Amino acid sequence: MLPTVEIPESLGEAVGTLGDGDLVLAGGTELVPRVTTRATGVSRLVSLRRAGLAGIEVNGGRAVVGAATTLAQLGRDERLAVLRPVVESIASPTIRNLATVGGNLFVRQPYGDLAVALLALDAEVSVEGSGGNASRPIAGVLEDGVAPRELVSRVAFDVPDPGAWFYTKAMRRRQNSASIVTVAAAVLVEDGRVASARIALGGAGARPVRAVSAEAALTGNPLDRRHVEEAADAAVEDASPFDDAYASAWYRRRVLPVHVRRALLRESDRPEGSR
Amino acid sequence: MRSRVIELVVNDEPQEFLAPPGTTLLIALRESLGLTAVKRGCAQGTCGACTCLLDGEAVMSCLVPVETVDGAEVHTLEGMAGPDGELDELQAAFLEGFATQCGFCTSGMIMAARVLLAEQPDPSREDVVRAISGNVCRCTGYESIINAILDAAERRRATGAISYTEKGA
Repeated sequence: MLPTVEIPESLGEAVGTLGDGDLVLAGGTELVPRVTTRATGVSRLVSLRRAGLAGIEVNGGRAVVGAATTLAQLGRDERLAVLRPVVESIASPTIRNLATVGGNLFVRQPYGDLAVALLALDAEVSVEGSGGNASRPIAGVLEDGVAPRELVSRVAFDVPDPGAWFYTKAMRRRQNSASIVTVAAAVLVEDGRVASARIALGGAGARPVRAVSAEAALTGNPLDRRHVEEAADAAVEDASPFDDAYASAWYRRRVLPVHVRRALLRESDRPEGSR
Repeated sequence: MRSRVIELVVNDEPQEFLAPPGTTLLIALRESLGLTAVKRGCAQGTCGACTCLLDGEAVMSCLVPVETVDGAEVHTLEGMAGPDGELDELQAAFLEGFATQCGFCTSGMIMAARVLLAEQPDPSREDVVRAISGNVCRCTGYESIINAILDAAERRRATGAISYTEKGA
């Protein structure tokens, strides 16, 4: 049986409509195929399309992004140009016209590259429920999700300085492919040494994970090849890669340090002169 | 489990129809409105054969529950040709450049290309590749498809023709 779709006109109405067992429908790129192509037992979806949750505000270097903002909208915003490589590494333009920022927090790896980036940015997630609004660290939301009858309304983060932001995604193809390994990092260098580092990995577990061993290996050291290579090797300890159609767990583990290194040293994966 | 009356403006004409719960935009276009240029390929957002324009943006119609877009403006391949059936530059370039093989992916390719050319009248080859990266051609005729889109862009620039009137044009 196909589920019915409720289309609330505001955030409050959406929260009031959500019942136990209902699922929140945002862009639908993951959820719609799930409910239209097989029996799921889900009887009702609550769509966020008209709930007024799309939009981006940037004030004083802090970005607040509505959960129903599409990846395409995010990618077009000049104020968030630093995140454009993240957005453009995800699926295709036609998918990005539907897929949302909030939805990206709930897809399983090897999808959810934006969630990896938001984890590296230590984003704050606004969660709405009948008890009101609560702000939660993204790590917990990625790990545990939200409770039934709760929904994510906004994601907030400090827009990184381009010099302190690192991102790479290894794919089977140049366009529209899921992650083999995704690396996102916010690394602050002061007086020639790493003052703070947040490194997040995709393709390294069912959900995005922080590479805490790699962060520890970098902090206090220069961001040079030797220390980056040590950190990259350490990152393997933080990862529990999986097998899927894109890559084996063995392969992911094997190439993870390579991509951590390439991300942090801004090395191209394309040999000089190749297209 | 009540059906709902849905209103859409499809190819500039207002339409009204009854949609049972769970009806996707793809199924509504095909079965309620008889517009079969949108193809049901994978039905999971992977192949792009069902691509149409929703409020001016190219989307895969199999991913959109039609109830959520009540009132929207939709464009399909059926609305591309002129009033007397003269082909749009994209259609002509596909036809003359042998860019249709089995034809199943063609309308989705053209709809994705339509948005690209509206936004970028002079796209690079890389831009074209990106624009159709959500559209799969299982005949693997990508090179001739990419060439046809570049050719259509050139034809439009040469004639100054703008056949695209949606948002963002």
